[in-house]
Amino acid sequence: MPLQGLFGDYQVGSFYDEMFAAPDQPRPHYAKIFEKLASMVPSQFEERRQHADLAFLLQGITFTVYSDGRGTERLFPFDLIPRIIPHSEWQRIESGLAQRVVALNLFLQDVYGKQRIFADRKIPRSLVYSCKHFLREVIGIEVPRGIHTHICGIDLIRDSKTGEYCVLEDNVRTPSGISYVLENRLVMMRTFPDAFQAYEVLPVNHYPAELSRILRSLSPRGGDDAQIVLLTPGIYNSAYFEHSFLAQQMGIELVEGRDLIVDGGIVYMKTIHGLQRVDVIYRRVDDDFLDSLTFRPDSVLGVPGLMGAYRAGNVALANAVGNGVADDKAIYAYVPAFIRYYLGEDPILRSVDTYLCSKKEDLNYVLGHLPELVVKAVGESGGYGMLMGPTADRERLEEFGRRVKADPRNYIAQPVLPLSRVPSYDPALGTIAGRHVDLRPYCLYDGEKVTIVPGGLTRVALQQGSLVVNSSQGGGSKDTWVLFGED
Amino acid sequence: MLSRIAESLFWLARYIERAEYTARILDVNFHTVLEQTKDRYRLHWDPLIVMAGEEERFRKSYGEADAQAVFEFLAFRQDNPSSIVQCITKARENARTIRDYISREMWEDINSLYFTVNRFSPAEEMAAGPHRFCDAIRFGSHRFHGVTDATLPHDEGWEFLRIGWFIERAEMTARLVDVQYHILYDAPAGISGADNHQWMAVLKSVGAYEAYHRKYHSSIEPEKVAEMLIMHPLHPRSIRFSMTEVQSGLRAISGSEPGSYANEAERLTGKVLERLRYDKITEIFQLGLHSYLNEMLQMCGSIGEDIARSYFYYAVVA
Repeated sequence: MPLQGLFGDYQVGSFYDEMFAAPDQPRPHYAKIFEKLASMVPSQFEERRQHADLAFLLQGITFTVYSDGRGTERLFPFDLIPRIIPHSEWQRIESGLAQRVVALNLFLQDVYGKQRIFADRKIPRSLVYSCKHFLREVIGIEVPRGIHTHICGIDLIRDSKTGEYCVLEDNVRTPSGISYVLENRLVMMRTFPDAFQAYEVLPVNHYPAELSRILRSLSPRGGDDAQIVLLTPGIYNSAYFEHSFLAQQMGIELVEGRDLIVDGGIVYMKTIHGLQRVDVIYRRVDDDFLDSLTFRPDSVLGVPGLMGAYRAGNVALANAVGNGVADDKAIYAYVPAFIRYYLGEDPILRSVDTYLCSKKEDLNYVLGHLPELVVKAVGESGGYGMLMGPTADRERLEEFGRRVKADPRNYIAQPVLPLSRVPSYDPALGTIAGRHVDLRPYCLYDGEKVTIVPGGLTRVALQQGSLVVNSSQGGGSKDTWVLFGED
Repeated sequence: MLSRIAESLFWLARYIERAEYTARILDVNFHTVLEQTKDRYRLHWDPLIVMAGEEERFRKSYGEADAQAVFEFLAFRQDNPSSIVQCITKARENARTIRDYISREMWEDINSLYFTVNRFSPAEEMAAGPHRFCDAIRFGSHRFHGVTDATLPHDEGWEFLRIGWFIERAEMTARLVDVQYHILYDAPAGISGADNHQWMAVLKSVGAYEAYHRKYHSSIEPEKVAEMLIMHPLHPRSIRFSMTEVQSGLRAISGSEPGSYANEAERLTGKVLERLRYDKITEIFQLGLHSYLNEMLQMCGSIGEDIARSYFYYAVVA
């Protein structure tokens, strides 16, 4: 079938294209949506797109960009063309992620507990202890039911030749984005009901109930009447929408630090009828800001004395404090070793080759090949402190080389990965074009099993040629469909 | 319920009510002026500025009050904290901090009102006159009341909204009556009592013009207008009606029985209502309307403060 209409100028290019096996030849699981889109007139598509945008705007699903002293609100762009994953492909991802989450949890139990892994020489103690987010204050704290990684958002990308899924990053602190997964699905069902009818798509909306069940199970007082709250930094945080969304969906209180108080090692919230005890805090405030008596003294976002209550076992926190050590980019290189060490299994999902600049031979390689590599600061996330070798100019390469040499422990490098592409609408061109994507599934761990809502957040670099999917840099998202069957 | 949420609900309602009230007064006065001679302009516009409590700020920017200046100042100015646009913005900010608590429809509604208000271009509206803009505000406020009533459980949070709405309304009505009388009595002889255009405007701005005629079957008389706006038991914009709503809200929250009170706010509300029920308008005029209304306003202020003390603020104990 020749390409036509919205697909008029579509170039499959040299990347792994998730919709097309070859020009004009959609993969079986994309065939039905391709036909649907190809039969649409551009103006029909544009009309649906505007409906979707309006729905997001009215719900205030925006993030704030500060310029000229006034905050302006921007939509997190939503692309109407879904990303589709056949069931067998998803099962492999699911089992690989579950394996990884369990191993990361065991690693955290271990480094903040008995520290067997150092004695068995699987990872140098100095590497772990020098991680920016390793917290000595947490050593010896027994967390409820041994769970550190209640909620993980693990970033996956696809190999540009084979399409194999690889892990790019583990986010085990306060990963965000699940609200977009749920809202994208709602808006998608409203704007493209006919596309759903052609497929059997697995639902995603059980996430809040599952998270709520896990949070409830952590209550130190037991019982069904546990008081659970979600702690947010407040409305100026870029993920505020998500915080309020999840609190509402789970039917728990959304609190700010100033709503809570610690007295006699117990956490309370300030209500109109007096103080009320809090049992479990799903906190979306970073470790550093949680308790000004233990961590940053200038923090007003947290609750003074919270760590005391946590240590005494009077309140549960999710995720656990100190998790940042497990998603440090230098530790990332050891996760396959953790899986073998703690579980005695081979990793199901591949990791990306990683050069640790703290190792002498790796450092030499990195300094010699900067233009081909992505260099990342180990303790950062969200695309900060990063060098994209191939697109950097000479000056920037030299400057980064100096930085790496001055503090090798702080950097890792990976080969540049040309992410896979999925057809996406380009409003400027008025047609569909291939755009790079990644995938962040959300994993919930209750200490026994890992639950993953089918799919996750597909982030897409909407600008032509861009590999950066972060929302602050022109990224958007797509609804992600895991099919009940194969097509 | 969290104290912070209760406080945000209270202010959310107050800001919406203030925006609606301001829009009503602006709209009606603008159209009344169209049928007036030029030397009477001042009589219409000055009270509006005084009422907003922003006379000094206004004089600094504009000097003399005229239709354009008053419209811009009360509707659009960023530096006027009581301007309609500012009220809607603050209402939405409050809603945003509690959007997990309010219903999804309420949030979408206030959010869309915010976008509507910000889509108006001040320059175009000033050329077109305030009707279109004010209508949008009034409609937006009514819609928000409706959505709230229909989608939010009528629990404690709803009571805080109700208290916010009606305490703001009581204060605005008290100011409206006070300012109009004050200005008219200060005016040169010949245009005070007999001039009923002004009073028609007052009645229309609170939507009570028809109700007035049904009740009094007479021409517009200042004393009767005042009686209606201060002590009518059932007109939804009278001070008495508003304070009755505040009282019901406070009792629903604390569980106090009629005749008793759980806090200073309830005691003062009860006291205000006693007076509104048993005073006669002729007595009030003998005592002096201005001092009577002023006392009402002070009591409303104290009620607001005590609501905050009883429900919103915690003394630092750590």
